Amino acid sequence: MPLGARMRSAWRTITRQRALDADLDAELRAAVDELAAAHRAAGLRPAEARRRALLDLGGTEQVKEQVRDARVGAPALTLLRDIALAWRGLRKAPAFTFAAVVTLAIGVGANTATFSLVNAVLLQPLPYHAGDRLVFVWSDMTAAGYPRGPLSGPELADLRGQATRFEGFGAIWATTTALTGDNDPQQLRIGLVTANFFSLLGAGAALGRTFVDEDEPTAGPTTILLSDGLWRTRYGADPAIIGRRVLVNDQPTTVIGVMPPGFRLLMPPDSNVPEQLEAWQPFNRNMTRGPRGQMFLRVVGRMRDGVTVDEAARDVATVAADIGARYAEYGSAGRRFSTVGLHDDGVRDLRPALFVLQGGVAVLLLIACVNVAGLLVARAAGRSRETALRLALGAGRHRLISQCLAEGLVLAGLGAAAGLTTGGILLRLLAAARPASLDRIADVGLDPTVLAFTAATALAVALAFSFAPLAEMVRTNLLGLLHQGGRSLGSAFHHRVRRALVVLQVAMGVVLLVGAGLLVRTFANLTTVQPGFEPGGVLTFRLGLPGNRYRTQESLDAFARELERRLASLPGVAHAGAISHLPFDNIPNWSTTYLTEAGGDESRARRADSRAVSPGAFQAIGARIVEGRDFTEDDDKDGELVAIVDERLARLAWPGASAIGQRLATDPRVTGRPTVWVKVVGVVRHLRHLTLLEDVREQVYFPVRQAHRNPMAWMVRATGDPASLSGPIRTAVAALDPQLPVFDVRPLSDYVVGARAIQRFTMLLAAVFAGLALLLASVGVYGVIQYGVTRRQPELALRVALGAGRGSVVRLVVGEGLRLALAGLALGLAAALVAVPAMGSQLYGVTPRDPISYIVAMPVLAAVALAASAMPAWRAARINPADGLRAE
Amino acid sequence: MLKGTLDLLILRTIELQPRHGLAVSERIAQITRGTFVVKPGSLFPALHRLEQEGYIAGAWGESAQGRRAKVYDITPAGRKRLAAERKSWDRIVTAVGQVLDPT
Repeated sequence: MPLGARMRSAWRTITRQRALDADLDAELRAAVDELAAAHRAAGLRPAEARRRALLDLGGTEQVKEQVRDARVGAPALTLLRDIALAWRGLRKAPAFTFAAVVTLAIGVGANTATFSLVNAVLLQPLPYHAGDRLVFVWSDMTAAGYPRGPLSGPELADLRGQATRFEGFGAIWATTTALTGDNDPQQLRIGLVTANFFSLLGAGAALGRTFVDEDEPTAGPTTILLSDGLWRTRYGADPAIIGRRVLVNDQPTTVIGVMPPGFRLLMPPDSNVPEQLEAWQPFNRNMTRGPRGQMFLRVVGRMRDGVTVDEAARDVATVAADIGARYAEYGSAGRRFSTVGLHDDGVRDLRPALFVLQGGVAVLLLIACVNVAGLLVARAAGRSRETALRLALGAGRHRLISQCLAEGLVLAGLGAAAGLTTGGILLRLLAAARPASLDRIADVGLDPTVLAFTAATALAVALAFSFAPLAEMVRTNLLGLLHQGGRSLGSAFHHRVRRALVVLQVAMGVVLLVGAGLLVRTFANLTTVQPGFEPGGVLTFRLGLPGNRYRTQESLDAFARELERRLASLPGVAHAGAISHLPFDNIPNWSTTYLTEAGGDESRARRADSRAVSPGAFQAIGARIVEGRDFTEDDDKDGELVAIVDERLARLAWPGASAIGQRLATDPRVTGRPTVWVKVVGVVRHLRHLTLLEDVREQVYFPVRQAHRNPMAWMVRATGDPASLSGPIRTAVAALDPQLPVFDVRPLSDYVVGARAIQRFTMLLAAVFAGLALLLASVGVYGVIQYGVTRRQPELALRVALGAGRGSVVRLVVGEGLRLALAGLALGLAAALVAVPAMGSQLYGVTPRDPISYIVAMPVLAAVALAASAMPAWRAARINPADGLRAE
Repeated sequence: MLKGTLDLLILRTIELQPRHGLAVSERIAQITRGTFVVKPGSLFPALHRLEQEGYIAGAWGESAQGRRAKVYDITPAGRKRLAAERKSWDRIVTAVGQVLDPT
């Protein structure tokens, strides 16, 4: 019989079942009549004739069964029938079904959402052509306190000329520039790039083209590549933009292309290259001829096909060693580069946090599995009598197992569907709560493979547990089971298994709870960190003064002085000042080598982060001068060159002595060499501006009138609500220069909030997971206690009948709940002690053995146990002795 | 009974004359003088399977005694199948015969 016809027959078997059965019924009835007639003809009485006819046929029902089994497609029909049966069975037990599906939805949904995220961020390659061949090159100045710094132009040229394992090297430096002319003036965050930067990444333009070598100008930048966002907001997505001239920094500049939407630069966070820049311009052609000490380039290399990161790193290290020996600038210390995979390095801060989350959510999935297993065991126990009866009546064991499977399939289907919904919602919540460093998860979708995998895992575990009691039953003495009312024997086994499962569940909930507790404590510690400044009550903004209108130092100083004066005199303003970098912004870091003695070894000198500040800046930001004085308006180009250092530099440079009046050789203009001698006039408390977690690196502050920077960040400390100042500030700026764009208007506290965003994200997720875990565990506890009460109903009834008080019955039930919770708690605390240190890197200010986080788990668990046993206890207390005893 | 023999017997019996279920087994018993007794438990599943496979077609008609009964007739596909089965049966018989009485 051809396959097609066979399929059609099978389809008819399934769809026309009723008609086929009716026909068969009629046929067999006719056969019986025929046989009976024959027997009557032979002289039997009608009743006897009919009985004999039935005997001859061998039982109509049996024949029907045999015919049905012989039909084409009968096995598929059986499975469908089992599924329909399971569906009906599940609908008859809505509480069980609801609990199982919700449990699966939570476990599967949370896992799918988290893993989709981990997959997108950690496992998927970078969204560039052959992204796994891209590396990032750091300058390694560990001895100076800078293990991860930028490179200089000549060093890029050296790498291009000497490294053999690479197809090429490109570089980027993020800065700002002003877009004027055709519209309101706008300050742009742009990347200056080498002409090969985009082709090196393998990223093409959506419109027009990216840069080619001829674009690198010899005098003043002349071309610009726009981001999709800028193209849409400023130019209304005009496709004719290509080739148009715009004014960038007051220079006529040709638009050559527009990048696609969603293009991101996934560079290491501490390289200060923002993920989303507004535009790109090529570096000046002679950029590679600058001083060797002028380090600002973020260098990306593309390895040749088949080269490993290790080989590439050795190749680069050789180049570094060679130039270190060849050029006098590097002195006795030489030169070192470190080379890391671009993707690896970009996610190195995220990786441990995401792994902790993935670990937590995996535990949640385990709890969910255990919960479903417990529910299935309970269901099997409730049916043990029915099962025994069916076995005794000759039901095939494979039929029982197949029905068990069918029920599993239905649950799996429902759970997967519910998990898909839950996962989708969770993923959207995750995206909404994302920290800036995880911005790219905004458009991550659910991963169908992961969904299928987690749903299958949950179900496989659950089914394994539901088969166990079935297997036990199949081996059991059926007669005994039936005799005992199908209760004691099978149920005792089930009950033991369930109690063990619940203890396990509670234990895992405790592990998550302790972990979440530690993360909450970490976050709390981060919010109370003293960063060395007062972030509250300050509004910040940035201003860049265009070079063609502010050509001289005098004009820059005059503008800044006047603006600072006007801002400080605004009503509601306590202090105003300007600083070159705000804490935790993403402006490329500036640093300087410093020497305390003339003729010292420059190559082995330490480095400090360098900032330029106006006289009002320290007061505006709320820094504390611990020794000496703040800058004044007299610290200008006519005054003595001065500096303020942080306590860390003071302690390192002049241990045991006062820093005030000491002299430092520094490099305020980043020329590459520390040639400017300044006198230390003050010591300021260290400002945490790169990480909240610890004081890193020394800091040196120069008066902005002696060390010009442009653009600058302005800070205004309000006596009241800082947000209300944004209008008056714009007015004050416009009064001085109506052409100036005021940009990045944000409260200072925003930057600090951003600095602990990852920890906040991890904490929120961990708390949600722990909450869900406890919810599932309490459902588990409730289920087992409730079942215990039902099982012990006769015993409890007997106790009440014999005069036991309601109180003692309640105590009995609640005591059972508490015992389970205590066992789970003990096991969980022990497990947490072993497992939680794995998240040590995510903690701040607490140890993984922090007693408070462990102690807090106890009352929470006690509450869970009480809540879970309250309902069963109440029911037990209301047992009517007569009913209870009759139930036996 | 050899596997496949039942199909052969049923098809052959029906080919001679359309019959209802019990009549088929009666006829087989009669012709084979009781060597093959096809019980209803084997007969009806085989009939329904052959019908689903398209080798025979059942229709409601009348039995010899004038009772309503489902009467099966062979289809063209059934004839082809019968011919094929017959050929292979002959081959088996010949082959077995050669083993038993080698010439």
